Amino acid sequence: MAANLARLLECNIRCNNAAAVQSGWRLFSNQRQQQTEVEDDEEFRVLNLRTIKQQARRREIKKNAVQPPRTSRMPVDQDWTAVWSGPRSFHPASVPLPLRQGYTERGAAAPSKYANAELMKIPNFLHLTPPAIRQQCEAIKKFCTPWPKGLETEAKWKRPFPIEVITTDYCHSLPTIRHPEARRVTITLKLSDLKFDAHAKDKFLRLVGERYNQETGVLTFSADRCPMRKQNYDYAMYLLTACYHESFVTEPWEATKSEADMEVYQFERNQAKRSAEGILNWNATGEQKDAPSANYAKSVEALINEGENEYNIAKYKEEVLKMLKIAI
Amino acid sequence: MYLTRQLRLLPSSSLVRHITSGNGTHYTTAAPPAAEHIEIPKRIERSPTDLLQALASTVGRDSTAPHYKYHDDPFLIPTSNVTKRTYTLSKEAGRKAANWIKEEHRELFMHQEAQPPIEKFAPSMVYTEESEVDTSSLQQLIAQGELTDAVLVYNLLEKKGIEVNDALKQSLLELVCFYNNQEPLPEEYIEERWFLQNSRRRERHGKTWKDGDLAEKLYAAIEPKTPQSYAALIRGMAKYLQCERAYALLQEANERQIQLDTNTYNAIIQIVSLLKDTADQRWQLCTVLLNQMAEQQLHPNLGTLNALLECISTFGNFKLARSSALKVLPEFKQLGVTPSLGTYYYLLIIFCRERAPVSHVIVDILNDIGGKQFKVEHPKDTYFFATAMDVCRNHLNDKALAKKVDELLHTGNNYDLIGDSFKESIYYRNYLALLCQTESIEDFMQTYDVLVPNIYIPEPGIMEEILRAIEINGAVEHVPRIWSDMVIFDHTHRESLLLYVLRIMVNNRPNAELPAQQQLPEQCAKVALDMYNKIEESAKRVRKVSFTGQMLGDILTLLVRSGSSFDKASEVFAYIDKQQHRIPGTPAESALSEYVEATVLNKAPSQALMALQYAVENNMETIALAKRIHEGFTLSEVHLAKLKSLVGESFLDK
Repeated sequence: MAANLARLLECNIRCNNAAAVQSGWRLFSNQRQQQTEVEDDEEFRVLNLRTIKQQARRREIKKNAVQPPRTSRMPVDQDWTAVWSGPRSFHPASVPLPLRQGYTERGAAAPSKYANAELMKIPNFLHLTPPAIRQQCEAIKKFCTPWPKGLETEAKWKRPFPIEVITTDYCHSLPTIRHPEARRVTITLKLSDLKFDAHAKDKFLRLVGERYNQETGVLTFSADRCPMRKQNYDYAMYLLTACYHESFVTEPWEATKSEADMEVYQFERNQAKRSAEGILNWNATGEQKDAPSANYAKSVEALINEGENEYNIAKYKEEVLKMLKIAI
Repeated sequence: MYLTRQLRLLPSSSLVRHITSGNGTHYTTAAPPAAEHIEIPKRIERSPTDLLQALASTVGRDSTAPHYKYHDDPFLIPTSNVTKRTYTLSKEAGRKAANWIKEEHRELFMHQEAQPPIEKFAPSMVYTEESEVDTSSLQQLIAQGELTDAVLVYNLLEKKGIEVNDALKQSLLELVCFYNNQEPLPEEYIEERWFLQNSRRRERHGKTWKDGDLAEKLYAAIEPKTPQSYAALIRGMAKYLQCERAYALLQEANERQIQLDTNTYNAIIQIVSLLKDTADQRWQLCTVLLNQMAEQQLHPNLGTLNALLECISTFGNFKLARSSALKVLPEFKQLGVTPSLGTYYYLLIIFCRERAPVSHVIVDILNDIGGKQFKVEHPKDTYFFATAMDVCRNHLNDKALAKKVDELLHTGNNYDLIGDSFKESIYYRNYLALLCQTESIEDFMQTYDVLVPNIYIPEPGIMEEILRAIEINGAVEHVPRIWSDMVIFDHTHRESLLLYVLRIMVNNRPNAELPAQQQLPEQCAKVALDMYNKIEESAKRVRKVSFTGQMLGDILTLLVRSGSSFDKASEVFAYIDKQQHRIPGTPAESALSEYVEATVLNKAPSQALMALQYAVENNMETIALAKRIHEGFTLSEVHLAKLKSLVGESFLDK
């Protein structure tokens, strides 16, 4: 019975040897030898109703031998383009470089490449090493034709090819290969490449409206109203052609263009002329009417069309003085 | 998003209007007069994937990386044949599970997001007993190759009494005959097909044709009998080895003057070996069939050539076989039939037989086909490479030829013709075995590094060959590497291999001058200890290896030689001592004497005495040991007394 009790009242078994049971009390026993051990032991004895055999059950999970990362087997002169052939997030076991990245407290080394989120987050360009690029360029060269002679610089090719057509192709990983923006076509052209007379230019610019950029002098036609790119391209070209030819046609209602519609200031039509005439012919009799000089007219036009700047104002002053024959 | 800019050529004349008045000219920077003729080269035509293929051709093979179907992680790369199979098939099981879910809960997978819509993703039609069907659905199902559904629909139509026209019956007959009315493994389960090894066993295993089943019923239902129906039934029966009836049908067709076609005759020629027994009869029947073909103006094709060669390869009389093959080949060449790899396979098995004189036909074959790219043209094409390598190794033992075959395998897309995993392993097994016997050990290890473990994992037999080659060359520095490979490939349950490794290490003492071998004693000790631990662990498992005395003696020797593992050696010796009753045999004398030497060096007289006691108990050579102990130690009284008690007083006199 004492033996049973001994098994019941066991301490926490710390040692591997299951036989080393620190038995507790031996009831009704005259021997005191075991008590010293018990007193030394500070642990609280836990009641454990299992037999000894059942307790030693904790088996180590058998871990299979794992190979070291394959970087240790990579020869130094291997073909890197075969290892990292495309864009890929960083994989430490495949990259034979001892990279470190990350912030640590001062003195500590930066974290190594294994399980390094910093290295995995950033884009790496291991697939674009110079040899890889060279190889790929060599492979694609057979589809390329040489650049035409005579079109080396931009100046040279602007003459035969004044129109620039801009289209966009989209590359995405979606269930569909279609992209709604791919049909958009933009055509740009310098206005100076088109030949106009005065009326045509004015009409053209009115027709074209916002598509003309005053500062750069670039005409832009953008089309996306058709479902296909080719259709949009044809439509844009049609717009350009139509506007151009239409600007040379004078409609009868254009005669109703009033002063408020005028895009430039013309001396002949305006109050300034009348005022100048009035001033020049003050107190004059009927026959001889002095007209403002042509230079004066030009300077007024310049002042109003181009805005006030030092040159224009000086010129105006000069002309006025000349006209009114005021000597400085 | 990638932006592209395209400059289109537009004749500027369409935009320039010739203006009489006005100052149109506006000179920009100095440009040459437009009178120069600018030649723009034509665009080189390319298909949508040409660029991608060109880029892909720049990517070589990384020999340290696993196959792309495995996850590229040190923990998840399979390193033994069992794990490779497990991982691949489990991945495929995942696909099957996904497919099952899609079929089971089809109402959840009705969306079609892709443009153009992918038909495979759409839920498939389910035909039950109550479905409303008509002949057009039957036609569609036959076109899609759905066997079970087509049969179901046909039965439904029969039940409802809807008339099925003869052409439709004919196509259904062809479908049923081709598959012998059982659904084949779906094509999308490529891994299962890759590992399917019963194709070898299936072939010669007697007929599997279902007599009296749907095929024959359909055949009977088609009136009048057309050549196509005869052809379909004959081919089906021949494919599934219902030989006599197939031949009887052929004769019936001939009697009725019905014009059959080449492929039907090919099917019959293939089963000639099952119709007749002796070589002469078979050859005679073949000639009869060929004459019939000639009468009916049927032009033979590649199938005919291969079927003939298949029949010839079953001849027991190899003289007849060789002569017939040599007759057949030039005739077919004259007819304009280009041989495929299957043809060459048959030639190899005809000419290069085990008990036949050596034939160098493979040299001619390789000269013929060297550098060419092949596509699959005949089911037996995939057998060529494995057989060729087998011939190179067993029949001819020629390394240069083997290298030529390997080169052919790696040109272009020829690797697709390696067949399945079984043939691939045969190929590499023969290749490595041949190389380890004929090449220097350094070159061999280079090839080994490239192929193992990602392309091919050697079987225990090949491991043994490699060890033999290492032993012959005395290149002991490779043994630790081979041992670690053996551990990874799970070969440690093979007792003969373990013994062999130990033997090699024990017999070849490392040469301390060679830089490659300086680490060797330590490594050998590690290997020995590893082996010891593994064997102990495996005691609980099913495929366990038991210790033998010899093995333990070798382990002891290695541990002792390394110098730093004396305590381990003592541990092992203590184990030997305690478990004497369980270990058959005893360690070698040399082992024990080396151990005693080590005890002398490490000043452990009690261990030495234990060794002596063991030797005495097991009737081993003790005098020399005792002398050594006595000389090596200054023994205390207790020890001396024990020594005397063990071996007596006699040695003290020397």
